[in-house]
Amino acid sequence: MSAPAQLACGQCGAALAFVGVRTATCPYCGSSSFLPRTPADERPDPRFAVAFASDAKVARQEVMRWLGARRLFTDRTLRTAQVEDLRGVYVPAYLYSAVARTTYTVQIGERYTETVDVPIGSRPGTEPSDVMPLPWPGKRRRKPKPGPATEQRVVTRTEYRALRGRHFTYVTDVLVSASGGLARHELARLQPYDYRQLRRFSPALVAGFVQEDYSLAASAVEQASRAAAAEQVASKLRRFLPGDSYSDLEIRTQTQWESLDPVLVPVWILGVRYRADRPPLRVLVNGQTNVVVGRPPLVWWKVLVALGLVAGLALLTWRVLS
Amino acid sequence: MSNPCMRCHTVLDEGDLRCAVCALPVPVIEHKHYRTVYPEVLRCTECAAAITFVPAARAPCCAFCGATMAIEQPHDPIERAERRVPFGVSRTTAEAVLRGWFATRGWFVPRALRTEAVTESLAPIYWSAWFVTAQATVAWAADSDHDARRSAWAPHSGETTLRFDSLCIPASRGLTHDECAYLAPSYDLSQQLPIGDELPEDGVVEAFEAQRSAARAAIQAALDAQAAARVRSHIPGTRIRNLHVASMLESQLTDRLALPAWIVTYRYRDRRYRAIVHGQRPDVVVGKTPLDVWQVLAALAVVAVVLAVLVLLSTGA
Repeated sequence: MSAPAQLACGQCGAALAFVGVRTATCPYCGSSSFLPRTPADERPDPRFAVAFASDAKVARQEVMRWLGARRLFTDRTLRTAQVEDLRGVYVPAYLYSAVARTTYTVQIGERYTETVDVPIGSRPGTEPSDVMPLPWPGKRRRKPKPGPATEQRVVTRTEYRALRGRHFTYVTDVLVSASGGLARHELARLQPYDYRQLRRFSPALVAGFVQEDYSLAASAVEQASRAAAAEQVASKLRRFLPGDSYSDLEIRTQTQWESLDPVLVPVWILGVRYRADRPPLRVLVNGQTNVVVGRPPLVWWKVLVALGLVAGLALLTWRVLS
Repeated sequence: MSNPCMRCHTVLDEGDLRCAVCALPVPVIEHKHYRTVYPEVLRCTECAAAITFVPAARAPCCAFCGATMAIEQPHDPIERAERRVPFGVSRTTAEAVLRGWFATRGWFVPRALRTEAVTESLAPIYWSAWFVTAQATVAWAADSDHDARRSAWAPHSGETTLRFDSLCIPASRGLTHDECAYLAPSYDLSQQLPIGDELPEDGVVEAFEAQRSAARAAIQAALDAQAAARVRSHIPGTRIRNLHVASMLESQLTDRLALPAWIVTYRYRDRRYRAIVHGQRPDVVVGKTPLDVWQVLAALAVVAVVLAVLVLLSTGA
């Protein structure tokens, strides 16, 4: 197999390698300006790859369905827009895994019910506070002043108790983009990928598709990987906590045995032309699960009309109730 | 079997790219026994040209020269038993113990069952199960009534180390989970025979019907459930709710075993029932038996009468 052509997009800077692909434009920005690029030493070679599981036809159909579903605040012409350009790209990323040991402190809310005396006819929610000041030791509680007639009502309150503990987990499958053309948040929205279908990388695996080379070294994504891992741990910990509610959650996570492995993930990148005077809309499709991600342009007058209607209804409701 | 994972010491299976427990990538080591060659990627067998992948086509052809291509499949094999525990109960014994088992089924079983039940089939089968040995550091958090104040519940947390020794996780589709759980503790696992390419003649070996990736998810879920059950004894108080465990498994070793059992199908008055006789212990039988509706109604009537008398007595007092 011939050596891949090493090129960089002149407009967005994406580092691309083409094996057996004839291409004239950058899959990310559509630019036809390419600059020759020499491979950088610190850029890793991919270790694993998730292969494309859907073909271009399926991706195109998913995008057309997605465009058809954007109706309320989006440009109506999107429904009849045409897919102008469609490319399968292996996007570079790092797969992070580690051992996470977390120490947490939290206030756990436990609900309980209590019967209280409230003035007859008072609105629900106006019962006395659930934090009742206790008298000093030796002091007698002051007798309540005679007030209006009262009735008894059962109210639900929350008692907060301090809890401290530890949590252990393996952080796995944290995917962080190392692409120059695909932002981290875009790749995050395309996830998840099914890593049970992971394969060891070989050039033949990506033949026929555009393979973007690594724009970021592993050291450059370490912080982002740890932040994503911390978020994964926090998410698990929030589900782990007992009680009916919680507050003041403080987490300290220590990661050990970190592993950051270069992996290629499949993404279909489509350019959708919906108006002649506007640039094409970029839509991304997960090459494995067909999840569609894009930012359809909003029609602002529609949004403003909707906001006005909501505000008018709220005002009307308030007037009627008051 | 390859070297264990460096991070969690779990024993890796052949063909693993990453550890099944902690996801640490497996280093590429040229093992002599890694001779199995899996199909290479989607590629033209003629010109190795660039190809557009068309999964719908299943057996695609090269876009350039029209020759056939090979599709690489991720190595996710169907699980199969590696060893079996031999039968220790003969067909005659299995049939005989079934009649004795009918007598032990209690009051509500028809008295005529022993004489009128007709055995339709008696089939020897090896049902499949994973036996997992692992160690886990388990953190738990739960509400219990211990140290409760205004609310009936108070939060508690803790951590412990658990060891799972040959924990049986049924992989059978033919037997229910309860049936497997009843049979499993009575097997003598010291008597194990390898299952080679030739299947045993004394029984049908049930397939796991699970790919390796799905099997691992099932094992993980079973271990988590087991950890949750075992940490209950560590939680103070008498009532527990919202129990959550976070377990970090280490040194996991999974054995895939085939366990012997006699599957008995019998007919009683036009209805079919199933019982399972343990393949090694004839005194262990599990299954379903018919109910004598009249005997159940009679018992209910007796209970109702007793309750009525008690109510009358208490009212009179």
